[in-house]
Amino acid sequence: MKTLLRRELGALWQNPWQLALVSYLPILAMLALWWLFSAALPRQLPVAMVDLDNSSLSRELGRHMAASPVVSPISFASLPQAQDAMNRAEVYALVVVPHGFSRELKTAAQPTVDVRYNGQFLLVGKLLAANLQQAIADAMKPLAYSKQLAQGANPHQAHINIAPIATQTTALFNRNNNYVGFLVPPVLIALWQLTAMLVFANALNRELESPARQEAIGLLPVLGAKLLCYAPLLMLQGLFIHGLLFGYLKLPVAASPLWLIPAMLALLLAVFLIVAVIFLLMQESARVVSFCTALFAPAFAFMGVTFPVHDMPAAAQYWRLLMPSSHYIDSHIALVSYGVSGMELLSKSLSFMPFLLLLLPIGLLARQGLKEVQS
Amino acid sequence: MTLLRLILEELKAIVADKAIAVTLFGGVLFYALLYPLPYLNQVPTEQALVVVDLDNTSLSRELIRHADASPKIRVARGAGSVTEAQHYIASGDFHGLLVIPAGFKRDLLLGKGATLSYGGDASYFLVYSALVEGLVTAGMDAAKSVQLLGMLSRGESFAGASLSLAPMHLNAVPAYNPGLGYTPYVVPGLFLLILHQTLLIGTGILGAGQWRKSGYWQQVSALELLMGRIAAFGLIYAALGAFYLGWCYHWYGVSVQAGLGDIAAFIVPFYVATAAAGVATSCLFIRRDMPTQVMLLASMPILFVSGFVWPLSLIPEPLVMAAQAIPAVPAIFGMLKLNQLGAGFDAVFSEWLMLWVLALVYLALAWWGLVVRRREVNSPITPKQA
Repeated sequence: MKTLLRRELGALWQNPWQLALVSYLPILAMLALWWLFSAALPRQLPVAMVDLDNSSLSRELGRHMAASPVVSPISFASLPQAQDAMNRAEVYALVVVPHGFSRELKTAAQPTVDVRYNGQFLLVGKLLAANLQQAIADAMKPLAYSKQLAQGANPHQAHINIAPIATQTTALFNRNNNYVGFLVPPVLIALWQLTAMLVFANALNRELESPARQEAIGLLPVLGAKLLCYAPLLMLQGLFIHGLLFGYLKLPVAASPLWLIPAMLALLLAVFLIVAVIFLLMQESARVVSFCTALFAPAFAFMGVTFPVHDMPAAAQYWRLLMPSSHYIDSHIALVSYGVSGMELLSKSLSFMPFLLLLLPIGLLARQGLKEVQS
Repeated sequence: MTLLRLILEELKAIVADKAIAVTLFGGVLFYALLYPLPYLNQVPTEQALVVVDLDNTSLSRELIRHADASPKIRVARGAGSVTEAQHYIASGDFHGLLVIPAGFKRDLLLGKGATLSYGGDASYFLVYSALVEGLVTAGMDAAKSVQLLGMLSRGESFAGASLSLAPMHLNAVPAYNPGLGYTPYVVPGLFLLILHQTLLIGTGILGAGQWRKSGYWQQVSALELLMGRIAAFGLIYAALGAFYLGWCYHWYGVSVQAGLGDIAAFIVPFYVATAAAGVATSCLFIRRDMPTQVMLLASMPILFVSGFVWPLSLIPEPLVMAAQAIPAVPAIFGMLKLNQLGAGFDAVFSEWLMLWVLALVYLALAWWGLVVRRREVNSPITPKQA
């Protein structure tokens, strides 16, 4: 085994691409992705404001919108200009205050304020819709309040009459709706899984080139040596992710992230088993990489972080189970958000167990050895 | 060799190469099904909610029924205390919490006002926003009926009471993706990225596999080979593009606002720039399994920097600038404006121009790369790999 390990490390040293994959390249990609999302909270998003009324009340409305940290209103003189800006994706929403807004309010004719938000940019659109509605409702409160006073309610009573039920909304586990805390961990894990897949695929593919076939030792010890050689190196990258997230960025974490190590090891083992099966079946380097890529590239979508798992169709929920990263992210969120105990987390890691069934085809295929001639 | 003959040779080489065929035809078809699969149900509905009803009156039960009636919320179970409810949420099966305080009904009837507490699991943003939207609506409905009752009891007319509660009407409607579906949000950008990446990989594998061998690619000039290769891949991608942008968009309910002419005019420089970039990068590789690996690692950063998932105005300026060199980035944003937002061609003119500039730059690089590679073909020295 020692000779086999030395052989692997020697091969790694001579392959600049593989060396880059186990060291700086994924780290650079991870830092780039974090930098991309580093704004963390969407703010100052451009919104077109068309004030056709131009009264003190409509300007008050504009001030309330500008006060929201998410909204950055831009005045447009006419509706077509604003619509054009919306079509060009220069603004994400459009607010129209109609002619006679102020007069109608005073004569109790219930004017209509139009808000159009860009649903194509779902994330930004929804955020703006909620914030604009909140800002406009706030702007209207003084008016409703003075009406209540005019009707003879005392100031305290007037407040309660406007809003008899106060609400208090708490974002559990991710207090300030931080997108770094929400998106960056699964993105980095997905990238890590891709790296692990490529590293294993390259390591296995090298067996196709080496002129000395391993008839003497058999294929299984060779596979084992590859896992033993690369898993620790990949593990370091995984720990770098956690160091970045919890150490440097200080994302809140409810329990010790060290408990995630077993789940990370299980992910690496599962990825290795899948790649090994594909390698033994295909036995051609470009095809192995292409096939593994097809399998692992969409893993992020199936993690269920951006779109809830229980709203996925059944087929997607089954496919999800084939992806080691989905199993891992469940443990990750359970620990980071809910602070489950280490024992519970270990029992969650048992969901990786079915991947061990892949040892069966691996054992069978490995006994047949590699084909003599490769295409 | 005539250009037509060369294109035929290229097409034969593409189809005969199993790794390219897997990527181009298998991959593109497979991704068309697999990527949108999780999002087919479009919107998150019926999020499981835990209710802590400390009031237990007719009014609190009515509020719970209101919440349950919302399409976004399913009242999944009750809990005796907030701690108990938090325990349920930590199990991962429930994502929201509604606390109705003791004395809720009494306080409201006495005109003292009451406070409802909502909580949502913000580890999942769509779940959180669905829960909060549903709860806020339910809470507002309950508030309205309480206010109305109060005002009517004070002798106001029904019409007057409703008006003083809502002095204006707010008409908030989503534009462009009216159902706020997740598929129309993700698919347009994603599918263009898939076309971009597979085209780069296809041209990459073909080139990487040929540099050390001799064949038809030796019998033509570098310029001819470049033209022939772009034409061959262009033909294949015209079909794949029509399949994605036509049939798949229709199937997934993605809006198609632009006419065929505009789409064609916009996609031509995109394909030329991408294919040329593919040929240029293929000159960096001699191992056939390399292009897929490089492109795969680049996919996620390109997806997120193209401006439809995460707003461009929030992405650090240097990243946005650097990303313009990737044909997919101006193409995704331009096509989004053209086809999803329905802006005219003049709105995407700068992106269109950018794609032509990229096309010229990559064509020059590809030509240079081909010249260098072909000179090396018969030399036994292994060139440095990227």
